[in-house]
Amino acid sequence: MITPEEARRKPEPSPDADSAALWKGLRDGKLLLQHCKACGHVQYYQQAICRRCGSDDLVHRAASGHGTVHSFSIVHRAPGPAFKDDVPYAVLLVELDEGPRMISTYTGGKPDDVTFDMRVRLVCEPISDTISLPRFKRA
Amino acid sequence: MTSGLDSSLRGKVAIVGIGLSPVGSVPGQSPLALTATAAKHALADCGLTRKDIDGVLSGSAIASPFHRFSVAFSEYFGLAPTFSNTLQASGATAATMFNIAAAAIHGGLAETVLVAAGDSMLTGMTPDLALRALTESRDQQYEMPFGIPVANTFAMTAHRHMKEFGTTPEQLAQVAVTQRRHAARTPGAQQTAPITIEDVLSSKLVTTPYHKLDCSLISDGAAAFVLTSAERAQALGIEKPVFILGGGECYTHEHIFLMPSLTTTGAVQSSRRAYRMAGCAPKDIDVAGVYDCFTGTVIMMLEDLGFCPKGEGGRFVADGHTTYGGQIPSNTHGGLLSFAHSGIPGSLFHFHEVIAQLRGQCGERQVAGAELGLVHSLGGGFATHATTILGTEATL
Repeated sequence: MITPEEARRKPEPSPDADSAALWKGLRDGKLLLQHCKACGHVQYYQQAICRRCGSDDLVHRAASGHGTVHSFSIVHRAPGPAFKDDVPYAVLLVELDEGPRMISTYTGGKPDDVTFDMRVRLVCEPISDTISLPRFKRA
Repeated sequence: MTSGLDSSLRGKVAIVGIGLSPVGSVPGQSPLALTATAAKHALADCGLTRKDIDGVLSGSAIASPFHRFSVAFSEYFGLAPTFSNTLQASGATAATMFNIAAAAIHGGLAETVLVAAGDSMLTGMTPDLALRALTESRDQQYEMPFGIPVANTFAMTAHRHMKEFGTTPEQLAQVAVTQRRHAARTPGAQQTAPITIEDVLSSKLVTTPYHKLDCSLISDGAAAFVLTSAERAQALGIEKPVFILGGGECYTHEHIFLMPSLTTTGAVQSSRRAYRMAGCAPKDIDVAGVYDCFTGTVIMMLEDLGFCPKGEGGRFVADGHTTYGGQIPSNTHGGLLSFAHSGIPGSLFHFHEVIAQLRGQCGERQVAGAELGLVHSLGGGFATHATTILGTEATL
């Protein structure tokens, strides 16, 4: 059960067996994507098999860090006490140049500056000793 | 050569009893108590008793500590069913309950199934449950660290729809305005005061493009239904049975960033399967219950369910096609936006309304000559979709 104190803290990702490499990479400033050696599919969500062909022959490669804003929504009502002080902030659905999409937030500018198809660039922002979040700023 | 889809369930199972609890703010009533009230009304509606029920399907209730809600409810209501489950497909659960109950009855797993769910999200949430609901709703690694509310996933799809098709904030708002007008004629609806497009657009921003009045309500409430075989319904002399003609589902993704397209959803596949089983087309449907967690959701679903071409949903609503005299009167009870939204039961209210319409019991809300109805339930940021097509005896 979650306590009010816990709810006031921002949720920090707990890496698991599937995602350990992703979070280690982000801490080192790299966004590691999974490339399928069998079919070439590229995926951001880390898992043991390729979602397209089912192969387990996946290798990590660092993303270029470039992408475009596919959609976004500016949050005015925070989802819980932890994010209350941050509003308004822009949640982004970024399409990476390598293909996969990911959820992130806009950094380094005002949320109202975000537009569709805006070019953005990865920024790895540390939130603890072990975790850095992949955010995006205007390219 | 026909596949099993074509006609396997069509007309085999009838809905014979329907019931609601009070909805809106119903303090002091647990999810189990609300569900029991609705179930009592559903049994009284068809003249059956608890002894006649051998199956129970339910959905989970956020404000209830019981994970096996259907089992807890059966105990509470004095039942020992030989077929039961608590289904979980978020907002799509309602239609899945009808589809699965129909398949279970037709397949011989049960004879008479009670479909029932209730929740008390408005007045029954302990602080602990409320916090958990807020913080555990999305993926803990890939979504929640960014502060993404559930509304945000739906907001991003609507926003993209606006960009791709020129859908306007005013068209979104019209969905809420139309449904509020419907709710004003629905006894017991939670919100009945008339609103204007200006009211919607000047209500507080939640997550762009959605304002408070673009968002569904938070409610207490339950609904229950008694389903049995068409033969048994006839033997019982049920006056206006409503038949399940077709059902379909589709699940395209779990995470919003893996949704194949933000503007075309699994509702296309789920409804096509239901139409095919029912042997009808969108233009044949007289009345619809369209899941309306947000205004833009309705616009996208009108397109994906085939009621209007892709990209024209906004204009379709603005032109009055979702109300009386239009092409497809929808959510005539007011929907999740104005009647009530108590979680999983939310879309059961759509079923209650469409079934009442097909029985001709809606008084001043009645859609004249309604014989064929459709309900589409969805959830999880368009992750889950289920469609059910219903019809009167005349449609068999």
